[in-house]
Amino acid sequence: MAADPTRVRSLDDPTVIVDTPATIYDAVPPYPPQTEREAEFYTLRDGEMLINLGPQHPSTHGVLRVVLKIDGERVVDLDPVLGYLHRGVEKICENCDWHMAISNCDPLEYIASMFSEALPVLAAEKLLELKVPRRAEYIRVLAWELNRISSHALFMGWLALDLGGLTPILYGFIERDEIVEMLASLTGQRLLFNYLRIGGVNGDLNHDFLSRLGDWMSRAAHRIEDSQTLINENEIFVKRVRGLGTIDRATALRMCLTGPPLRATGIPYDVRRAHPYSVYPELEFGIPTRTEGDSYARYLLHLDEIRQSIHIIDQVLHQMPDGPVMAKLPRLLRIPPGRAFAALESPRGQYAVYAMSDGSDQPFRFRIHDPSYFNLQTVGLLMPGNLIADTMAIMASLDPIMGGVDK
Amino acid sequence: MRTLHDDPDLRFTLLADICGVDTGRKMQVVYHLWSATSPDWLRVIADDLPRDDPRVPSVTFLWKGAEWGEREAYDMFGIIFEGNRDLRRIYMPPDYKSFPLRKDFLLPDDAARSPGMGVRHMEQTAPPADAPDEVLLRRSQLD
Repeated sequence: MAADPTRVRSLDDPTVIVDTPATIYDAVPPYPPQTEREAEFYTLRDGEMLINLGPQHPSTHGVLRVVLKIDGERVVDLDPVLGYLHRGVEKICENCDWHMAISNCDPLEYIASMFSEALPVLAAEKLLELKVPRRAEYIRVLAWELNRISSHALFMGWLALDLGGLTPILYGFIERDEIVEMLASLTGQRLLFNYLRIGGVNGDLNHDFLSRLGDWMSRAAHRIEDSQTLINENEIFVKRVRGLGTIDRATALRMCLTGPPLRATGIPYDVRRAHPYSVYPELEFGIPTRTEGDSYARYLLHLDEIRQSIHIIDQVLHQMPDGPVMAKLPRLLRIPPGRAFAALESPRGQYAVYAMSDGSDQPFRFRIHDPSYFNLQTVGLLMPGNLIADTMAIMASLDPIMGGVDK
Repeated sequence: MRTLHDDPDLRFTLLADICGVDTGRKMQVVYHLWSATSPDWLRVIADDLPRDDPRVPSVTFLWKGAEWGEREAYDMFGIIFEGNRDLRRIYMPPDYKSFPLRKDFLLPDDAARSPGMGVRHMEQTAPPADAPDEVLLRRSQLD
């Protein structure tokens, strides 16, 4: 019997014959809409169509799927679909002890994991009211700022890559690789450092790290200026990103933005100054802001932040105190009962943790506030009206990391 | 919430975090707010929500960005935010039935490795001090 092309076996259950086969590329979900907004999104007006972007599109910086509703070449609306990378880090952390939570939080922000692994550390220290040795604090700040520069360098390369320029990302990776190698000689790992500890850091500075750092510092400022002339003055780049994805102040606050997208609209909210942690009050640095709020402003802001980070590293190296790098703590750590909200400024914004302890060695509730997650939902506001080709540029300028978005 | 957001003396314009909490006996929704004039975050807790039907008003009319935060709390705890237009699952599949971060959602027994011996050390859930009896009962059976 000849196969009837209109009757095809179902993908879910091959014994079932369906009239219209569902494929994984279908943009429309196979269930009735659950909310008002979903029903509105999947109702198409004349001339509109849905296309599916992802989850494995190379420009989505991870495993993000976006259903775009388009009219011709313009995006009308979009619906991000998350959860492809969800592994339940909060639940895992509630079921392991505080030390294990450090390495479980590491892959959240895998581009700058020195920040995400600090979450359980800062929360536990806040609950213990622990005084961390000053040398450990300075080493932390040094590691954080180095990691921030490596993340920002990669951001600028990515933004240009998503606009079609291949060269800048190679320059971005040169910076990043040098820093990552440097941190590898300090921590032993290139990507997921697992270096911070409750009460200090895992090891003292070593000679290899310091010589690499000194070598890099002598060229860093010059190299950053060098690579920015590659993009900043580029007419095509500037024309593409200027005025793209503009957010004003009120909207930025309404959308719960933090980090560079918020500061690009002119609000100087930086956790390092708003709620100082570690030794940031002793260091002198500025909080760069812009007022335009578009993708170009976000890009320039990242450059300014790299300059500030280099300035901080310079001070840290001059003020580095002597002493131990770990506080004295028992091996089996029981955290006193209480609630703590600790935050730090990651390259993408305010990374926060709300931890509750019931007096055992495990967190009772470990809520992770990820800046990428909250920044990413702004795409729903920024995309409509833009070309499909520009959606990637807007998304790249918000700089989400899917490891943190999906937790 | 509207007063905190709009009052010219307070102006808590930035929502630093929104999350759900299950204490074992009741549900909570915890908000952290920031204002340019305040020295620290302001923690607002919507307390004593019943576990079988937790409902709170949505804050999406003040902070549109709270929408995903509320979707996550709904997905993980089953807290209903009245007024949120898009309250559906965000991480778990749409046809998923349970709420993973609730305290009575225990991680499964690793039966293949230790049949009948209960959860491994890593997967034990420490019951809260004021946990309901059924959770404690399940815990004591596991031990």
